[in-house]
Amino acid sequence: MRTEFQTELDRLESLLQGEADLVARALRETLDAIKTQDAGLAGHVIAFDDQVDAHFLAVDSGIETLLARQAPVATDLRLVLSMLHINLHLERMADQCVNIAKMLRNIQPAGLPDELIEEFEPMGVRAEQMIRVAMDSFSARDVERAESLVDLDNLIDDRNRLMAKRIIELGGDEQQREAGLMAILMSRCIERIGDNAVDIGEQTAFLVTGSFREFQDASHGAGA
Amino acid sequence: MIAGTKRRGRASSLAFRSFLLLSLIVALTTLAVLVGQVLVDSQGFLDTTLLTSPPSALPDIAGARPAILASLYLGALVFLFSVPIGVATAVYLEEYAAKDRWYNRLLELNIQNLAGVPSIVYGILGLAFLVRGLGLGRTLLAGSLILTLLVLPTVIIASREALRSVPSSIRDGAYALGATPWQVTWRQVLPAAIPGIATGSILSLSRAIGETAPLLLVGALVYVRYDPTLTSGFTALPVQIYNWVKLPQQDFQYLAAAGIVVLLAMLLTLNSVAILLRNRYQKRW
Amino acid sequence: MTTMTDLERQTTPVPVQEEGDAPDDSDVVFDVRDLDVSYAGKVALRGVTMKVFRNRVTAFIGPSGCGKSTFIRCFNRMNDLIVGASVDGHVYYHDEDLYDPKIDEVEVRRRIGMVFQKPNPFPKSIYDNIAFGPRVLGLTDALDERVEKALRDAALWDEVSDRLGANAFGLSGGQQQRLCIARCLAIDPEVILLDEPCSALDPISTSAIEDLIVELKKQYTIVIVTHNMQQAARIADRTAFFSVETGPDGYRSGVLVEYDKTSTIFTTPADPRTEGYVTGRFG
Repeated sequence: MRTEFQTELDRLESLLQGEADLVARALRETLDAIKTQDAGLAGHVIAFDDQVDAHFLAVDSGIETLLARQAPVATDLRLVLSMLHINLHLERMADQCVNIAKMLRNIQPAGLPDELIEEFEPMGVRAEQMIRVAMDSFSARDVERAESLVDLDNLIDDRNRLMAKRIIELGGDEQQREAGLMAILMSRCIERIGDNAVDIGEQTAFLVTGSFREFQDASHGAGA
Repeated sequence: MIAGTKRRGRASSLAFRSFLLLSLIVALTTLAVLVGQVLVDSQGFLDTTLLTSPPSALPDIAGARPAILASLYLGALVFLFSVPIGVATAVYLEEYAAKDRWYNRLLELNIQNLAGVPSIVYGILGLAFLVRGLGLGRTLLAGSLILTLLVLPTVIIASREALRSVPSSIRDGAYALGATPWQVTWRQVLPAAIPGIATGSILSLSRAIGETAPLLLVGALVYVRYDPTLTSGFTALPVQIYNWVKLPQQDFQYLAAAGIVVLLAMLLTLNSVAILLRNRYQKRW
Repeated sequence: MTTMTDLERQTTPVPVQEEGDAPDDSDVVFDVRDLDVSYAGKVALRGVTMKVFRNRVTAFIGPSGCGKSTFIRCFNRMNDLIVGASVDGHVYYHDEDLYDPKIDEVEVRRRIGMVFQKPNPFPKSIYDNIAFGPRVLGLTDALDERVEKALRDAALWDEVSDRLGANAFGLSGGQQQRLCIARCLAIDPEVILLDEPCSALDPISTSAIEDLIVELKKQYTIVIVTHNMQQAARIADRTAFFSVETGPDGYRSGVLVEYDKTSTIFTTPADPRTEGYVTGRFG
């Protein structure tokens, strides 16, 4: 029954997973660019964003048409809505990578001090892991696994705070302090990527349970 | 207040029901009395002599054999003539004729009128055109032809009703598959209408068998001893009964009653067949 | 944990999927030009111009009385059977004008089949129902195979193969409608016209018929009239919206308002009347 409808849902979901792969790839390239302080690689990340945008548009207009033509209800409706939101979160993650790449380009050729570069690696790797966990738990409709994203995010949040401390400690001349500011902003971008991954997890929970709930609400306890 | 409202109008519905019941009783009782009287009167004369012997001046050996045979022959001939012509006319009017043409509407009107014409008028028509005009003489053939004309309007009307009762969705479905009007009629509409047509035809036939007036005018003879053929003189059972009733002897009255019983039996059989057919093949669309 | 090699997979950009890729002139099955249909002098449908394309599902939607059933009946000359119906304009079927006096309407109906709103099986056996079309058209060789193929294509074979001699009226409503579709398929048409085929059916049967239609369009060209616009949204590649308008002579008759890809009609319709209808604001 309604085979065309199911085929279309599957197609959109696989487009979404494809988009997530692209985002993960962009993040890896961004992290490599930070490590190697390579402006060329940064430029590639910026150009690569077009591919993510193409997927974003494909999913977005596909959902629009699907809603108009198939009038999904119940689980189908929640699936479509969650895909719509996840699409946005993925696109924002890609935008954060672009932001990092742009800033990286702007501080060349001086670049970042090595002490700060090594701070990015654990954060970045954790962010990559979170993207994978978020998309896998969505694919498997696994709420518990989605909720684990909160704990995973804690490392990034902690590292983000540590980064600020490190930068203040390092101090330095005007150029070094400017580099430090850029580093804070880039770190913040990675933190935003982590938050978006948690948001994706929340969409998985919405899909499965039918009610939307923030995993960790800032106004109700544990802070940013 | 719901309780107590049952009384309202109860008196008038009771009166109505009683009136209906009374009418039914009157009708049935009258019929029962008539049939009962006939059955009583026919005692003693309802035997094989009645069926196998020709009439005679002596009631004891008189029978109605030629009359019974003639009635059967007439019935068969009427059926043979009226059904094909009647059904074909009905098919033309229902499936082929453009209903908005004036001449088709005139045709329809005339058929309705003809169905109500008194049978004696058909008798006069038969006498003038068939017996004398066409020179058929006072024969079984002429008799059967005039009875055919008598029942033809009824057969046409009954067949038309049967054809109309076939839903147009059946026709639409057949046309949509590329059938020609003839194929639609012959392969879908007629087969579906046959029960109705058969019922109508058999009922018309039983009317024909019971007719007396036209036969008298066309020349059913008073006293026929020989078995009738197509071109011979003839008499029919109703006529024979009439003849016996006119005779003075009491026994002939009883003989007439016996003849009536035979006639009633024939008609009842035909009508039962018609009803059975109708019930068996009644289509639920 | 992801590895570098996973991420270095090449992915190519994905274009937006369009249903019903842009058809061209070689795909035209019906070319309707300026068609007017009148019943007893009153214009029921006015000035319709549009094209129907091969192997697509084309749906006609609109409020009651807008002429969509009248229009679909023009494609197989079924309007001829209605006393007082007259047609002006042209309906070209592969470059032949269907209303040319030289055209044989029996041939037309052999190529262009129709399924009606209320299932109308003949009062015969299932086998004889399917065999009727081939028999009247003289396609009597390999009749058994033809009947079986038609029933299979209509997704009915499994349910009736053991009782082909049974009366068709013993089938359920959904089965009867699939029987009518099979009956149509048995004569190898090119086009199948469906006039509100699911109106008399329950939602499960409706869904089965819709799946069947989507499957059939691979082999046939389908035109469907539906008063349920969600149905058109679900299964049609292209949708035509009809409405009732007052003409220059002051009488109300049906007109074609908009005809486009279904996704366009239901996401960004060009005409405000279409928008009003699909959003349920009027009509």
